[in-house]
Amino acid sequence: MSYKTFKWVRIFMAMFIAATVSIAVTIENAYLALAAVIVGMISMLLIKRNVKEVLVDEMVKSIAGKSALMAYSITVPVLALLSLVFMFSNLKERGSDMYNLGIILSYIALAQMFIYSFFYYYYQRKYGRDGE
Amino acid sequence: MENKIRVLRAEKGMTQEDLAEKAGVTRQTIIAIEKGKYVPSLELAFKICKVFNKKIEEVFNY
Repeated sequence: MSYKTFKWVRIFMAMFIAATVSIAVTIENAYLALAAVIVGMISMLLIKRNVKEVLVDEMVKSIAGKSALMAYSITVPVLALLSLVFMFSNLKERGSDMYNLGIILSYIALAQMFIYSFFYYYYQRKYGRDGE
Repeated sequence: MENKIRVLRAEKGMTQEDLAEKAGVTRQTIIAIEKGKYVPSLELAFKICKVFNKKIEEVFNY
């Protein structure tokens, strides 16, 4: 399969998943949504295997790395700030939905920081941070 | 970093797609290297030189 065909198949699959999930939400059927996502993921994996052209190379990885760092640098401070706003503006109503939302957001920010630190440490070790 | 990939490619009558296939990268990467927007890794630079059967200093200038 050529890259052009793969691009069209990818668009078609995204449309299929979006449509199926929309229907699943409308009829309130979580299993249908889950099935659509799983079928979509498996299909994409199988289709990717049949593409003969190179899909990912060093430039794609470099762009992905820069995008990931930018996304991390934006989402973590924004989530942390939002969580503080939600928590401190509802200090008198501890246990309220908004206060709990602040706590959830702070945990999400922490989880992102943890995952980032874990992989940063992992790749530092992999590429020899001590220059050994 | 400058390079002579476009010239060498034209001499060999090679398309960007042909070079991309032989170097094992996407056509977008070859386009970016030719335009000087992306500096390839040493490994990819050597692969490109091997395709043209040239030394690295004959293809890339710094």
